[in-house]
Amino acid sequence: MTIEQVATAVRGHFDRMRTAGCGFADARLYDEDASQRVVLYDGNLESNNRGLERGIGVRVLYEGAWGFAATADLDTIGACFDRALTNARAAARLPGFPKEMGPARPAKGEYRAPVVKDPFEVPLAEKLAFLTGIDERLKDDSVKQRIVHARFQRRRIHYWNTEGTDVSRFVNNTFATMMVMAPDKDGRTQRRSVELYSDGSGTRGWEWLTNPDWFSGHAERIKRELFEVVAAEPLPPGRRDLIILPGQGFLQVHETIGHPLELDRILGYELSFAGGSHVRPEMIGTLRYGSDKLNCRAGVTPNSPGTFGFDDEGTPQRDYYLIKQGILVNVLSSRTDLAEANAKAGSEVVSESGTAARACAFYRTPIDRMTNINIEPGEDGTLNDIVAATENGIIVDVPVSWSIGSNREHFHFGTEIAWEVKDGRRTRVFKNPTYQAHTLDFWRSLDKVGDKSTWLLQSVPNCGKGEPNQIMELGHGIPVMRFKDVQCGEAEAATKE
Amino acid sequence: MLENRIRELLGRARDEARKAGMNVELSFHREQSSLIRLGNSSVALATHEALTRLDVSVQDGRKVGSFSLTADIVSADQLREAVHHAAENCRAALPKDYDPIFGTVEEAVDDSAGYDPALEALSAEAKTDLCADIIKKLKPRGRYDFSGSWSTGSTEMYYTTTANDSECYRRLTDGRFVMVLKEQDKKWELQVELSQKAAADIRAAEVIAAFDDLRPVYEQNEGFATTIGRQRVLFGPQAIAQLVGLAIWGGFIGRSWEEKRSWTAQNKFGDRILSEAVTIVDDPANPDVFSMPFDFMGKRRRRFAVVERGVFKGLLYDSASAARYGKKPTGHDLASGDFGLAPGDGPAGLEAGRKLAGDALYVPHLHYIHLPDPTKGMFTGSSRFNAMRVKNGEFVAPIFSTRVTDTSPSVFNNVVAMSSKTVTHNESATYGRRTPDAMSVPEWLLCDNIRITDVADSF
Repeated sequence: MTIEQVATAVRGHFDRMRTAGCGFADARLYDEDASQRVVLYDGNLESNNRGLERGIGVRVLYEGAWGFAATADLDTIGACFDRALTNARAAARLPGFPKEMGPARPAKGEYRAPVVKDPFEVPLAEKLAFLTGIDERLKDDSVKQRIVHARFQRRRIHYWNTEGTDVSRFVNNTFATMMVMAPDKDGRTQRRSVELYSDGSGTRGWEWLTNPDWFSGHAERIKRELFEVVAAEPLPPGRRDLIILPGQGFLQVHETIGHPLELDRILGYELSFAGGSHVRPEMIGTLRYGSDKLNCRAGVTPNSPGTFGFDDEGTPQRDYYLIKQGILVNVLSSRTDLAEANAKAGSEVVSESGTAARACAFYRTPIDRMTNINIEPGEDGTLNDIVAATENGIIVDVPVSWSIGSNREHFHFGTEIAWEVKDGRRTRVFKNPTYQAHTLDFWRSLDKVGDKSTWLLQSVPNCGKGEPNQIMELGHGIPVMRFKDVQCGEAEAATKE
Repeated sequence: MLENRIRELLGRARDEARKAGMNVELSFHREQSSLIRLGNSSVALATHEALTRLDVSVQDGRKVGSFSLTADIVSADQLREAVHHAAENCRAALPKDYDPIFGTVEEAVDDSAGYDPALEALSAEAKTDLCADIIKKLKPRGRYDFSGSWSTGSTEMYYTTTANDSECYRRLTDGRFVMVLKEQDKKWELQVELSQKAAADIRAAEVIAAFDDLRPVYEQNEGFATTIGRQRVLFGPQAIAQLVGLAIWGGFIGRSWEEKRSWTAQNKFGDRILSEAVTIVDDPANPDVFSMPFDFMGKRRRRFAVVERGVFKGLLYDSASAARYGKKPTGHDLASGDFGLAPGDGPAGLEAGRKLAGDALYVPHLHYIHLPDPTKGMFTGSSRFNAMRVKNGEFVAPIFSTRVTDTSPSVFNNVVAMSSKTVTHNESATYGRRTPDAMSVPEWLLCDNIRITDVADSF
């Protein structure tokens, strides 16, 4: 079937759904969802896969309840709508706060991710030559394992709804990682890695991956730093100032700001799986989430997997504050739950969609997801300036492990590397760094935020959430940040926070 | 056996490839998945997905390429095109520095024993009504909100290669039911989680009784903030499954061991590495689990022990790791196994477990567990649902969110006792394709010297 034929069929079924009593319906056709994954492990091509998915997912809203169905068989779109309606009718038998879409805002248009050279047009041999070149640079007698990994996505998605919205998205994403590993004298495998990143500008195609500033140019650095970690002593436990580089800061923001600010979590719809949130609807607008230095936006960053033009409800993507000068002012939302949030808060705390309705595939329904959750640069200068102002601290970079409480109220992170800071100078490297804290105490202890020179955009290719489960891509623009007096390292019996 | 139309298309594609002198593996996956998601005592979403997937792998000497397709399989041309894409990938591939193993069905399998048409057909309406019944009966007993999910469906898996004409086929149904009761003022959460192989496996009365067993301690007592340090912990099924999974992942993966990245790296087979009470086995014949009879290299799966009575017995090698390190594959080219922690000789029943524990923390769930140091088997995660303080053998208070940071060898060398009764913990996730997965574990595991590293002031 052509796109036009699908669109015509979908519109016909919209009419049918309206007649059946549905207040809203939409459809997402993934005309192409192409992927490619290439993994070199110690120079061996361990994964060399291309994938293609094609199909349609439809949602109907019946008496305030959602039904969803998906099929890869485009000859059965009618049956798919019928199944979604059956599901919605079943859901309506146990009603809660009625789901509603709010005022209709029909949108038309298309979004094309900025790409100069589509990676899918680059021959595999050329990709392998590039990645092998990086792998060669990672080689060393002391490096025991090397991984070079690249993943590409190309999606052509068409969206229609009963309000007349008709939008198309042509999205390319590129992800890449390189990692080196070696054992330390205690027999523990240490690692150092870097992921493809950017300053948020530029384009998302092959040209991004091959720009040495953002990826390949770091091969020698991570190798050198691995050797420093291997030779280092473990981080002694104790309370210190914690300086987080963007390579670690992105996950700190992701886990302790991004997820707790997803409205479906706040309202309890993720409780049985991913968990809830320490934020309650009535806290929006008043909760002191962090210090005055904390300014966090759901941003529309040009070059990021969290920028998509229109969300999966067809709403044009917005750029807005989530936290302003430390105060929680908004949350990540779709259109569906705004009325419920306001009712539970007892006043209007959210006024329009946060354009965060996102689905990972045609066979998954949109849920509240992160977009680009960015921390704005501050006025505390460069990394060197922040180090110079630190008496007793560590600098940490790149996650090894992360574990967060079910309401995101506390966390424990491990990182690849830590640099000790004493009296304003970097002194030595520590291995096995970890830190743990309680979320609000931690963000309220933010006392230094680096300037624009420290701000980098990190991609997240694998954020997991939802039932049925979904893996989503997004981005975080993060400056260097310093937090006061954080519990670092693994004490046999750490002091209680 | 797989529907004739699809089977003939796959067989034809295999035969054409063989005639063309190609080495091709074909995997077919079809699912019918349905899920209802509960939130705020309502059904927030009901879904259905009908999906077919084809994976094609082509091998030419030391070069391998693959292609995956999620779309309706309708024609021979479509399959030819998929084989062509995989072959193109193979042609441009770099040769490995070892000889990869090519998949061969070593024994034909046609297994539909785990298929229950009634479970496949279980409607969203029927699921909603059962949940409504539970909620209707429990809601008047307190200021409760209910959330959860109930995923049911069927999965078909088929595998064949150009090595011979044999086929592996499996069709089964599965379900996972989770319901969370949240107290709206005090914010505590209780959970009931059940695994399902047949439509009749989930009963409202059973769920209600399970919540009623848990509620009094939570209703009648304030939250307890335990102390940081080493403590006696009574683990429950989900936590045990998590701990066993971590022990396997961090200690018994062949590649990690070969590369000295596992916590068993300094050990050899025959070494005593864990408490004598600990036996961890992958056993497709265990009726508690979903029993996958073959893997996706055509290997017939049989009982495989990694630890027996505390002694290091085996490592799991997928075909790529086996080829690279000169070992034999162990039937682990698949997303999940049929693992279990063998039962102990302790008394059956949670009540007996807590009596035996005396003073302890009961931690039946570990949330968001991760590995800060796989080489040492170190993990960290926090308590969540149904966690309680045990004093003088009785549950006396719910505990606030408590972080456990310890190592697999420490936990499984500090075993005090284990229940002699096993339960099934459903481990199925719905990321990507439907893959039924369960673990058989003792209903409780009592350990000493478990390291508590943080305590929150909330649940």
